[in-house]
Amino acid sequence: MGVTILTQFPTENRTGPHTIDVLSKRIMALGALQQGQFLVDCETYTSVPQLGPQRTVHVLHNSEQPATVFSLLETGTKTIPLATDGLFDLLMMKMSSFYTSKKQTKAESKGPRYEIGDFCVKLGTVTVSSNFKGILVEVEYRPCVVPAMCWDLLKEFLQGFLGLSGPTNPPAYLQNRMQEIYSPIDTIHQYLEHFTIFRKSPGIGMRA
Amino acid sequence: MSAPGTAMDSLSAALKCNIIPNQEYLLQGSVLDQYVEVLLHRLRGLCDNVDSGPESFHDHELCFTLRAGSGSGAPIVLPLRVRRALDVADAPFQLRYVGQQELGDKNRPTVVRSSIDMACSSTIVEFLTELGCRLDFEYIARGYMFRKGRMKITVSKIFKVAGNKPVETVEPISQSYLVELSVLAPSGQDAIGEDMRIFAEQLRPLVQLEKIDYKRLGSMM
Repeated sequence: MGVTILTQFPTENRTGPHTIDVLSKRIMALGALQQGQFLVDCETYTSVPQLGPQRTVHVLHNSEQPATVFSLLETGTKTIPLATDGLFDLLMMKMSSFYTSKKQTKAESKGPRYEIGDFCVKLGTVTVSSNFKGILVEVEYRPCVVPAMCWDLLKEFLQGFLGLSGPTNPPAYLQNRMQEIYSPIDTIHQYLEHFTIFRKSPGIGMRA
Repeated sequence: MSAPGTAMDSLSAALKCNIIPNQEYLLQGSVLDQYVEVLLHRLRGLCDNVDSGPESFHDHELCFTLRAGSGSGAPIVLPLRVRRALDVADAPFQLRYVGQQELGDKNRPTVVRSSIDMACSSTIVEFLTELGCRLDFEYIARGYMFRKGRMKITVSKIFKVAGNKPVETVEPISQSYLVELSVLAPSGQDAIGEDMRIFAEQLRPLVQLEKIDYKRLGSMM
């Protein structure tokens, strides 16, 4: 487990599959090898009115940590992360009289996963309730766990194959955690940030 | 290369094959402090972990409920328990849902209740509190755990936890030890109840392991 940066790649006038195709050709040209597929998904539950002030639970899965369920509870003032075993999904079903999911909000990012030296690259097609929303590129630099120490390297790598669309600043979520030890829940936070933006965006995600 | 299935797909597949251990078979009893050594000695002889001796534990358990008034009638209550080891600093916390005991057959040898048990991060207490759960009570359990096949036997002393008092100053709740015999298994494996009954027989008359009916216990107090 290293440091992961998640960034959106604009589709411009291309279709989703075409954009993935362009990016995968670029990364393969750099010498990357495809190592399977990946999937990150997110289901959002909101509290019933009887429970008082509304709270939201986001339940996420990442194929990189297949035995773990990640949850983020948003109370309006703070966000509490939780990592549990897979059976947490079963518990959410038990909670259906307290927390209900809106089926239209199921978000996922999936696609090919590549390895290139110390980097792991994932090209994700994002859908919200099966509607295409955009492309998310995930790059992990595996030998390092402190974002501040490898941000410049990651930025250079990202710009190397995303060109001008590569990020110039660390993701908002990481900006005040640059000196802390990175862990899988931080990747989950970044995915949730993007999924939230995609859910609000009307058509396919054209935001930079 | 095939795409990974969603976590929900694998969970429903696991549910369909009935491989999730979500039923707890349970018998409970107690033994007075002065006889606990005799019982431990007996268990050492009967159980699997003979060479290594029993495993000791020192846990803090917090019992929460999530409740919401339904439109009519009784409120819906979801009990949730968090257990953390006080003697193993980096052990994960345990989160557990324990359902009502099944009424079912009166002749069934053990209590059967649904149970969902999982390891979790230490943020669980704050997570449950903010989720809307209420802390009903908490206690400290300290004792020994034995294994016999897939049966688990715990002999534990229960201590009161009062406010923010340090853990070392807790007082025992009674002059006896709680003895529990349990198995966590997928539903429908009722044969295990019979094994438990036979094992419980071997502990008599030191300890009488029984099906405890909490509802009746509640009305007795």
